[in-house]
Amino acid sequence: MSKPVLQVKNLHKIYGKKNQNQYHALDHVSFTINEGEFVGIMGPSGAGKTTLLNVISTLDDASEGTIEIAGTNITSMKQNQLADFRSEQLGFIFQDFNLLENLTVYENIALPLSLQGVSSKKIKPNVEKVAQRLGIESILKKYPVTISGGQKQRVAAARALVHEPAMILADEPTGALDSKNAKSLMETIMDLNENHDVSIMLVTHDPLSASYCQRIMFIQDGKLYKEINRNSTREVFHQQILNVLAEFSG
Amino acid sequence: MLFKLSFSSMRKSFKDYLVLLFGLTISIAIFYMFQTLAQNKVFLESNAMISSIVFVFHVGTFILAAITIFYIFYATSFMLSMRQKEMGMYMTLGAKKYKVAQMMFFETFFIGMISLLIGIAIGIGLAEGIASLFMWQLDFSGEGFEAFYLSSIMTTVIFYVILFSLTSIVNAVKVARQSVLELLHADRKHDEVNTKGSRTIIGVFFAIALIAVGYYAMIHIDKLVQFGVILAAITITIGTYLIFISFLPYFIKKLKGIRTLNEKGLNAFTLAQLRFRVMNLTKVLGTVTMLIALGLGALTAGISFYHNIEKQSSMFQTNDVVVHQPSETDEEIIETLNITEQHEYRYKVKKDGVYFLKEDLLNNPPLIREFNPEIKEIPEPKSVATSLPAEKYAWNEDEQMKAMPEGWYTAISTELNTSFYMFGGRDIYIYDKTNFQKIDGKEQHVFTAMIEDFKEALPKLEKIDKGQQEIAASMTGEKPETTGSKYSNYVAIKGFSNGTIFMGFFLGVAFLMMMASVLMFKLLSSANADIQRYDMLRKIGVRRSVLTKSIYRELFLVFLFPAIIGLVHVLVGMQMFSFIIIEPYTKIWIPISIFILIYGIYYVMTVQMYKRIVLPKEE
Repeated sequence: MSKPVLQVKNLHKIYGKKNQNQYHALDHVSFTINEGEFVGIMGPSGAGKTTLLNVISTLDDASEGTIEIAGTNITSMKQNQLADFRSEQLGFIFQDFNLLENLTVYENIALPLSLQGVSSKKIKPNVEKVAQRLGIESILKKYPVTISGGQKQRVAAARALVHEPAMILADEPTGALDSKNAKSLMETIMDLNENHDVSIMLVTHDPLSASYCQRIMFIQDGKLYKEINRNSTREVFHQQILNVLAEFSG
Repeated sequence: MLFKLSFSSMRKSFKDYLVLLFGLTISIAIFYMFQTLAQNKVFLESNAMISSIVFVFHVGTFILAAITIFYIFYATSFMLSMRQKEMGMYMTLGAKKYKVAQMMFFETFFIGMISLLIGIAIGIGLAEGIASLFMWQLDFSGEGFEAFYLSSIMTTVIFYVILFSLTSIVNAVKVARQSVLELLHADRKHDEVNTKGSRTIIGVFFAIALIAVGYYAMIHIDKLVQFGVILAAITITIGTYLIFISFLPYFIKKLKGIRTLNEKGLNAFTLAQLRFRVMNLTKVLGTVTMLIALGLGALTAGISFYHNIEKQSSMFQTNDVVVHQPSETDEEIIETLNITEQHEYRYKVKKDGVYFLKEDLLNNPPLIREFNPEIKEIPEPKSVATSLPAEKYAWNEDEQMKAMPEGWYTAISTELNTSFYMFGGRDIYIYDKTNFQKIDGKEQHVFTAMIEDFKEALPKLEKIDKGQQEIAASMTGEKPETTGSKYSNYVAIKGFSNGTIFMGFFLGVAFLMMMASVLMFKLLSSANADIQRYDMLRKIGVRRSVLTKSIYRELFLVFLFPAIIGLVHVLVGMQMFSFIIIEPYTKIWIPISIFILIYGIYYVMTVQMYKRIVLPKEE
């Protein structure tokens, strides 16, 4: 069995002050993601998906419990350590791309490496390699405003990958894409996972995107509600997901 | 209903409005302060050294009005940028377009009127405060100056009411023209980046050519006079704007093109931000540069005039102190002075003339300054070199006596202050010992000295000068207004310089305050668009300290460019005064330090406010 890349133990997140209206966004959640796994997190709005992602991505802190990423306990780290940790160990893909529109595609992708102090000689081959992998070599000199949404998300993916992080966190990456681009992007992500051993945690409420995962955890009201694994084709898995979602509403 | 909404949202974002209000208020206060001087002809004409001062103020009013119009449009567009998202939301909820436009109009106008009220009040206060501070510093009565000047208030009110009506209409039209979606997504606009090589070269060429013409006009102002002032004002203004439009974006682009620099740390982002700023701020940077040039120029000229007083007064005399027939009180005062060199010369006074003892003069030949109207520097003191072989000399040659050789007359009349003021129409003679003893009359002596710090000794010299006036009265029969001593020259020059110095200080400080707030505004008004960028950087793991550093650097460069160009303008521009001020660059570090201080405060304030907007608070 492979090593865990993410271990979440007894994670609890409360919003609001004591003695006031408190809201339990996450209620003692525990799970593990192994190296090379592609895991989806699904759930209805307000279930705690975003909170979970924010806490795991160190943008928000946990009220209780521990999170270990690549063997490091992040729950006790200071602000600066967290920032360094994010820049070295995590890659992000957001729904609205979050590219810097005043930088070229090349500069956007190179940014995580520049921030780690990699010399510009070494940056170039790395950027080119990852751009090739995502099929965006031809647009490296362009500015984000001149490329399509699908291309933007590939640039965001390239930026998330370029520094070879321990894990990629994707937050509704297909949310702003049309179905054709969404499909193409998910195939690329799946390819990264299957052929390049990238560990991925995907948060989505789109069943089709989720069907590319190997395993899906459903959360509701801050608790892990159900977990399903892909055993056969993606189409079958898609149907399984739809069935689980039907249970929520039922 | 909409108005209620609008007021409640204004209350909510009170801090942002405070920034806006602050900027508008400063602009109004300064405009008013300028008008208190510009419209007060009595004050200008009776206090300025430059006869064309009224003309200078007309040019000044024009430039200030132009700058103010720019400024107010920027400031109110800042307001639009704050509000348009909300306006879009009202429209999605079904508010009619003309209602929303109307609301925008009244909001802009309302803010304008409030700032007008506060601005004029502050303007009066500032004018009073700055005026009395400088008047006290300069020991200057400033007759005719009034901080509360009705016609200036009227002008300010009319000017701003028109201006605010216009900007309110523009804001309303802008809101009305945009679609709901454009308003809702106003904060997601993208920046176009575009610099063409050929256009840049032409632009740079014209910029340099125009500035060169302007500099030439300023350096040769003694020949070009008023035409030169107008020429320089036009060419330098246009040239400056051109530099910011063509050269600077090109320069930053080149800087960004250096890969090893660009790909180091957060540099790619910092430089991209900087390029975006420079592209968007061309006009603002040009305006700020001109304001720096005007403000710092006025301040430097003021201070230069101030230091010129002492220079001008030592233009003719080497001796700082000259005392005829010193009394006991005079002796006591002299003992307390820090004397570097002192001499005494004996003489006798008769009805027709003043007779000096030749031997005293030859033993210690006085140092004289030979005045040459061609040379602008203070002449170096030289001791009188010509010998005195004859027994007697007179100023005017006659049958009995030879004329005094060159230099001796200046030495006695100026350095020993044997002037008309002291001795009336008496002639000056030099006699040798034998002849001197034959003259019947009491032997007197004149004491001369050079001292270490002339300005420090002024109160003491004043007392001595009073005594000298008494002596002059006893010689001529009436008390003269001035004794012709270095001290009395100093007082006289100071009297007619003070008005000019005061105007320089007053306007300098006012312009400098306005200049930096223009830049501060424009930067802060675009800060909202940057929130997302900094948020993203934070997410991908950029340390807060690195982001802060990036902001400091970026804004430093934005502040730096106008400062440098403005400073060069001032350094060259001071040439304009070289025909009226001796050595106009003396102690230029003082106005430059004042400028750097004010500018520095604005820089730090801008960074802090910008940080507050774009970087979320530390948890």
